[in-house]
Formats: sequence, structure tokens, C-alpha cells
Amino acid sequence: MSSTTTHIVDDDPAVRDALQWLLQSRGVSSRTWESASDFLAFARRDLCGCLLLDVRMPGMSGIELFDRLRALRCRLPVIFLTGHGDVPMAVQALKDGAFDFIEKPYDDNALVDKVLAAIVQDTKRSARDDSMLLMEQKLSQLTQREQDVMQRILAGKLNKVIADELGIAMRTVEVHRSRIFEKMKVRSAVELSQMLNLLADKSES
Amino acid sequence: MASSTPSSPGERISRWRWRWLWILPRLAFILFVGGVALLLWTSDRADKEERHATLISDILWLEQNLRFHLTRNEELLGRIDQAHTANAAAFESYAHTLFGYESGLRQLIWLSTDGTVRLAHPAAMDPSLVGDAGEAVPSRQSFGLARSLAKPVYSKAYPYFTNDWQFEVHVPVSREGRIVGVAVGVYRIRDLLSDSVPWWLAERYRISVIGDSGKVLGTRSKVESTVTEEGYQVAFDPPGWGLALHAVPYHAPRPLASLLLSGSLVILAIIVLWSLWILRRHVLRRQAVEEQLRQEHAFRKAMEDSLDTGMRARNLDGEIIYVNPAFCRMVGWSAAELIGRRPPMPYWADDYLDETRALHDSVLAGEGPGEGFELKLKRRNGETIDVLIHEAPLIDARGRHSGWMGSMVDITERKQAEERARQQQDRLQSTARLVAMGEMASSIAHELNQPLAAISSYCTGAANLLRSDTPAAEVLPALDKAVEQARRAGQVIRRVYGLARHSEDRFELIRLEERIDDALALMEVDIRQNGIRVVLDFQARPLVEGDPVLLEQALFNLFRNAVESMRDTAPDQRQIGITLTCADRYALLTIADRGCGIAANVADKLFDPLFTTKTEGMGMGLAICRSVVENHRGRLSFEPNPGGGTVFRILLPMASQ
Repeated sequence: MSSTTTHIVDDDPAVRDALQWLLQSRGVSSRTWESASDFLAFARRDLCGCLLLDVRMPGMSGIELFDRLRALRCRLPVIFLTGHGDVPMAVQALKDGAFDFIEKPYDDNALVDKVLAAIVQDTKRSARDDSMLLMEQKLSQLTQREQDVMQRILAGKLNKVIADELGIAMRTVEVHRSRIFEKMKVRSAVELSQMLNLLADKSES
Repeated sequence: MASSTPSSPGERISRWRWRWLWILPRLAFILFVGGVALLLWTSDRADKEERHATLISDILWLEQNLRFHLTRNEELLGRIDQAHTANAAAFESYAHTLFGYESGLRQLIWLSTDGTVRLAHPAAMDPSLVGDAGEAVPSRQSFGLARSLAKPVYSKAYPYFTNDWQFEVHVPVSREGRIVGVAVGVYRIRDLLSDSVPWWLAERYRISVIGDSGKVLGTRSKVESTVTEEGYQVAFDPPGWGLALHAVPYHAPRPLASLLLSGSLVILAIIVLWSLWILRRHVLRRQAVEEQLRQEHAFRKAMEDSLDTGMRARNLDGEIIYVNPAFCRMVGWSAAELIGRRPPMPYWADDYLDETRALHDSVLAGEGPGEGFELKLKRRNGETIDVLIHEAPLIDARGRHSGWMGSMVDITERKQAEERARQQQDRLQSTARLVAMGEMASSIAHELNQPLAAISSYCTGAANLLRSDTPAAEVLPALDKAVEQARRAGQVIRRVYGLARHSEDRFELIRLEERIDDALALMEVDIRQNGIRVVLDFQARPLVEGDPVLLEQALFNLFRNAVESMRDTAPDQRQIGITLTCADRYALLTIADRGCGIAANVADKLFDPLFTTKTEGMGMGLAICRSVVENHRGRLSFEPNPGGGTVFRILLPMASQ
């Protein structure tokens, strides 16, 4: 759970400095990196905020960095800064999940607006990620038998049927059921189902 | 080839005829020899018959002659009278008279009527002789017969000595109707023959008298005949008594003419045979040579026909005397139509008639280009073809220079391919230039973009802060930084300028005409391919100061524009006129073409960068030209060329001496 920071990766120090100044003027805190590899060395999964990334840089290009970050499952929203000739590349990056791209020369306040939008989105994502993490932790507390029972509860089966299928006593099923509800911090099977559906959606996306 | 197939009808007929050609003289020869043999045989036969007839007539003549002899002797004997018989001397003289007539008589005896010997000459009677004959001499029987008949009577022949035979004639002599005695003449057969057979007869035949038993009683000569053929005989009467005259020819004389004839015929036949054989051998050898020649000819013809290279021979007057099929295929005229043609040839291209004629004349004069030359020709259907021609003197079998042999290769496709490749190359080059320019422009844009973006960000940020009432002192550093970035952008711009403008320290003294020549050399291929005449008129040779490479590039661009503007101009109109003059302190160079000219609506934009009227142009050529010329403190302008086309004028300050 880190605070939101905007990372600026550009090989031109003047551009880096000007962008930082610009963001600062709107109250956005930022950090600058002079090369893609520098940022890659720093990048972690749980970064939150936004990444302003120049497409054309000596050494590792912006696109390459983007691909590497995705491989690291770092979900930081990326805004590409592109020159005239790089638009097709940026469009492809957009399709691959970049947040946006902005073509140089750009309207500076529009750029800041986009950065802010990205930060908002990322904050939401980050919160969701946190709840997911929590749920996964809860799930991991269940024993194997409890998981078996939970599967069948979610399938809408009665305790009696579950007891028959697993070859255990009905009383035992009820114990498992109450333990599951307790561990997952839910009050009903419906609540449990909603919670797990959310998880399934998330892991699919 | 058809001639090598044995079953071709013409070949069969000629073989058949060939066989007859040989059978006929043989047949004729055999008939000739047979005819000659028949002729010789018949003539020989006729000869023999004739000789036989001669023999018969000769022997009949001889018999006649002998009969005449004997008859005459009978008469002489009958004329004996008293005076002759009076005494022995008279009798002897009469006997000599008788013997002197070559009568063949050898003894004369006078018998009285009673048969007693009164007188005899020669008188002596050899008793042994009588004994030999076995009868009395003279013969009693004959005497008796003669006296009683009162007619001459011949006795039988009787041997005299071992080899000689005699016979007698008893002639009764009467006086006044009364027989007074009998005169007896004794003939010796051998003497009779030698007396009465003439030499010419004796020479030809062996004449002999044969008795009735076939015994030879006397011959004219002792020489035996060598001839095997039988002779001929006639009865010898008188004396009769079975005697016969027999004649055998000594030799069968072949007539010399017939011998010569047959001999010469045989020799002639041999000569004919020999000459026939010689002729046959000659003809066979000739045939073999002919066959060899035909094969050689067929081989050469096949070679010529299968060549892809056109071959054309001309005599010294330029008249076509030979073309091969490849040549005919190339120009589309048949050999029959081409052979005997004189220039101008039907396949000469109309647009290049003068050039072709000049080349033709130079080849005939022996001054043609040795390494071959390219030429445009016209096919019969009007298509133009490019050919590569090599001409070489034609030397005939006697080593005499009799004309010119030309080989011709169709290089139309090669030329087209070359042209295509060149255009492709041009396109590639222009694309490469475009790409390079794009790259450069993009890199300049990027370099400019960076400071501009930074300035923009600083300013926006500053504005943001100022709007939120931040103290100006806090904003100031950003503005300073923005100014710094603006300076940076200015440096980029200056660098680009520096790139475009060559520094002046490369300037050197330049001879304009040399630069013109070099630029024309670069364009030479295009100029030649488009058939453009270049007219140079250098009235002055001014020196200018400048960058030779840049000036040459500018000239090259102008020349290329001139060439390309004349694509649609008639070939005989294509001309570039280049003049070089001096005016005041300026050198004036004009380049006049006969191209499409410059439209009025285009004229204003002509020197703008990236403006072009060409589909593949970049619009940099004239812009570079002007930039270069102005860089040399000169001026580039253009005006329409009177009579079509455009004139570009370059004014350059002359180098101060």
C-alpha cells in the first residue's frame, strides 16, 4: 500500500524537469527516471499512481519497458508520450492495455488531466486489488474438506445431499458450513456466492 | 535432313537410274564383242569357201592345162614321118625338138606295126626297168589297143625307179590310110608336173598325182603341206587309169586386213573396257566427294539456319548477297525480298535514315567501328528493334576482299531491360533520398520537439502557479529554464542551416566550361538514349569562385530537367543549347531546351522546395539549384525559349583577378 506517485521516464533532462514542474504546479507529486532500465529496476507490483513514458529513448524503448512491466504484473497505468511517427506503435500499446497516449507537442494541462484520471483509476484498482488479496487470504484459511463442502454449497446443494456425497454425517456438514461462514466473514450462502463471483471475474480479466 | 533417309522417292529413282546407267554400257559392250566375233567368224568362213573355190578352179585349170599338153604332144607324135624315122640321127633330132617344148616327155620310141622297136631315144633300154614294171616297155597291150583303134592310147602308170612313175602314150601313125607305125612317148610323172605346173601354182599348193589305190605317184615339190584341211582332187584323164590330180594348199593365208581389223577390234574393246572401268572409278570417287560435299553443305546450312545471330553479306557496292533465316526473322523480310537490294534497305528505321546511311557508307569505306555498333532498325510490321552489329571484311576463296559480312544480334529486350533497370535504379535512388530526407526531417523535428515541449511545460506550469496566486519569485526559475530551452531550440535551427549551407571555405577557382562538360558526361547515357543533340557555344571561358561539386550538382539538375522536359518532343527537335558569355563582371550561362515549357501558374512556385511537376520528383532539384547559385552570390532565372521550351539563365560573379 504505497502512496500515489507519478513516475516520469524520459531521456531528455529538460523535458523531465519541465514535466515535473508542470505536475507540481497542479499538486501532483512526481519522480523522474532518466532511462527505462532505471525505472525497471525500481518497479514493483504494488506501485500505485501513473507512469509517463516516452516512446523514443536510447537503450530500452518505452514500448519495451511497458511489455516488461506487464510481464512483472505491475498494473501501473501508462501514458505514452509519442512523437509524430510513433502513433501506430502507441495505438498498439493502447490495445495491449496502456492507459492512454499523448502526442507531442501536447496541451500540457490536458496531459495533467489525463495523469489525474489515471491516478484515480489506479487508486480504485489498487483498493479492489486489496480486497481481492484479503479474500484470497480468507480462502487460503479453509481446509480441504471445508473447500469441498463450500463447492457444494455454492452449487446450491442441501446439507443432506452434501453429507451423502462426501460420506460424512449431516452434523459434520453443518459444522463445516458454520466454520466456512465464519472464516469467510459472511452471513449467508448468497453473500458467499457474490464474493466468490467477484473473485472469479477478477482473475478472469 | 531428307537426303539421309534412304526411302525418299527421289533417291530411289536415282539409284535405279544409276544401276541402269552401269548395266547399259556393259550390255552394249557384250553385244559389241559378240557382234565382232560373229563378224570375224563369218568372214573367216567366207574366206575359207572362197579359198576352196579358188583351189577347185586352180586344179581344174591345171587339169585343163595338162590335157592340153598331152593332146598337143599326141598331135606332135602323130606327125612323125619317114624323114624322122629314116635313121637314128633324124629321129634323135626330132625327139629333141619334142622334148624342147617342155612337153614332159622323157623318151621317144618308134615302133613298127608289128610292135618291134625300130628307133628309140634315148636309146638305151634298161632291162631292169622293164622288169620293175612287170610289163614290157613299151606296153604291148597299149600298142595293140592303139593299132587296132587307130587312136592314141595311154598305158597304165608304172614305177620307173623307186620314187618315179611313168606312163606312155601310144600314137598310131598312118600314112595314106595305112598305119605305118606307132610313136610312143614316155612321160615321167614328176617331170610332167614340173614342166607343166607353173610356179605360182606350185607355190600355193602341193600338187600331186595319186594312183587308184591312193598311192602318191609324183609331186611337184617335196615340201609337205602343213595345212590340215583336206585338199581337192580331180580325175587325171588322160591318161586315165584311175589317176587323180590332188592339190593341198600349203597355208591358209589370212587376209592382213581382216587380221588387222580383228586385232584392232580386240584392242579397241580392251580400251573401251578399260576406259569404262576408269570412268566408273572416277564417277564413284566423284560421287563420294559429292556426297561428302552435300553433307558438308547440309551441315553448314543447318548451322546457319539454327543460328540466333542474323548474318548478312554485302558485296563491295553494298548490295545484299546473302542473309540467313535469323536475319529474316529479325527484320521480317524474306531472303528473296532482301537479296539484291541496295541501300536504302527496307529495314532501316525512318527516324535514323541519315545516321544509318552514314554508318553504312563508313562500313563500305572500311572505316566502320571495329568493335561493333548499336543501331535501330525497323521490322516489316513497323516495330523498332535495337541491334548490335559487327562488320567484317568478306574474303573469298581466292583471298580477295569481295564484300562485307555482318552479324546482327537483337538487343531490343536487353536494352529495354537496361532501361527498366535504370528507371528502377532511379526510383530506388529517389526513394532512398526521400527516406533519408524523411529521416533527417524526423530527427530535426524530434530535436526541436524536445525543447519546445519543455518550454511549453514550463510556461504552462508557471501559468498554473500564477493563477493560484503563487508568489512570482517561485515561478521565476521555471521561466529561466524555459528561456534556456528556447535557446537550445535556436541552436538546433542554426545547426540545420549550417548543414544546408556549405561553408564558403571550400570555394576555389572554377572553370565553368569544365563543370559543364563534367555534368554533361554524367548525363551522357540519357542524352544518347533520348537522341538529344547538345549544341555548345562558349563565347567566353570565365573563371568563377565556388564549390565545384555544388555547381556541378546544380548544372546536373538543370540538364536533367532539360532532358526530361523533352520526353514528348519530336526526336528531330530534341536539342539542348548551352551558351557561356561574359557581361560586365558576371558570367552568363544559359541552358535552352525545346521541352514542354513552364506553365504560367507554375512559374511562381518553381523554385519552392518540395514543389514538383514530376510524378517521382521530390521538388528539391530547382530549389537546390537556386540555393547553390545564390550561395555563390549569383542569380538563377528562367524565361520561355522563343520557338518552344525554356531557357534557364545563371548569372555568377566572375572571380576577381
